[in-house]
Amino acid sequence: MNREEAVKVVMSMLEKNVEGLEMSEDKMGETLENLGVDSLDVMLVVMDVGEAAGVTISDDEAEALDTPEKIVEFIAKQ
Amino acid sequence: MLGIQSIASYLPKGRVDNLEQADRFETDREFVEQKIGVTTLPRFEAEDSVVSASIAAFKSLCEKVSVDPADIECVVLCTQNPDNGGLPHNSALVHAELGLSEDCACFDIGLGCSGYVYGLSVVQAFMAANGMKKGLLFTCDPYSRILNPEDKNTCLLFGDAASVTLISDSPRYTLSSAKFSTKGAGSEALQKNSNLLEMNGRAVFNFALQDVPKQIKRVLESAELKMEDVDLFLLHQGSRFMLENTIKRAGIPAEKAPIKLAETGNTVSSSIPLLLEKELDSSPGTILMSGFGVGLSWATAIYTQVK
Repeated sequence: MNREEAVKVVMSMLEKNVEGLEMSEDKMGETLENLGVDSLDVMLVVMDVGEAAGVTISDDEAEALDTPEKIVEFIAKQ
Repeated sequence: MLGIQSIASYLPKGRVDNLEQADRFETDREFVEQKIGVTTLPRFEAEDSVVSASIAAFKSLCEKVSVDPADIECVVLCTQNPDNGGLPHNSALVHAELGLSEDCACFDIGLGCSGYVYGLSVVQAFMAANGMKKGLLFTCDPYSRILNPEDKNTCLLFGDAASVTLISDSPRYTLSSAKFSTKGAGSEALQKNSNLLEMNGRAVFNFALQDVPKQIKRVLESAELKMEDVDLFLLHQGSRFMLENTIKRAGIPAEKAPIKLAETGNTVSSSIPLLLEKELDSSPGTILMSGFGVGLSWATAIYTQVK
């Protein structure tokens, strides 16, 4: 998956699962916590992103994905 | 034919205010109310035990239906936190307290949140194989005994309760179809270590959302039923957020799948019978139950009303 596709997937899964969140490129580097994504939302977003991108994200790997950009980088390099 | 005749439950008098617990853990109250979905947790007090809670549930059962202790031929108790470390098996202690006949089989089942669905099937099969007509399935798993008071992920979640289900040859509901699954390689997600519960929330969440909906669909297929044929879906009440998303992923109409854990929390193998007890008043025709947790173990069964 290229970066452009990865960005699209991550943004859409964040908006789908986090009420009221509108994503834009300038928010990609912000922490998920600052974007109002709580710990349970994060689990759902990571699961949905993994399924949409066709990649398996282990618990340890998921723990390190604390910004939308890091999620994008992770799935883009798989 | 054997099946579910009646159900009763017991909640201990002790209560933990979960919003006060939220403050103690510096967790947002709204998160606890809306996402975990639990405001109050029933807790065993000093005088409570698996046996006393089970007896209390039985007394409640006797207020609903006539039960002659002399007729009980089988007592099965599902717990992973038994009194006296499980020796003797707690069903024998319940047997003694109820003054049951010596011609009564008693054994415990060591399962967590899938325990009720498993237990129903085990009891019915055991009774059928041995020509028995009346048996009792108890659930009581007081997780307060193993909670780490510093672990907010589990302290905010689990409540104590007990239930008893009368299985008899005069059933209101009988089993149509069931599936049982295990992922032992994932068992570290929920385990006891140094006598304290450890939970990997993410692993449990992934398991619930990815594996449970598949099993629900398989059971429906094997029963040749569609979602719309089922009147009531009773899923293990783990947490509100996990339940809402499991229900969504399974494609279950939300109005058919009650979420009622605000006053009980996650009561492990008692969560489905606590729900079922209340829902039986409306006499649903077809009920799907799905329990999932420790093991990792999950079980789904469809019960239909006897006309």
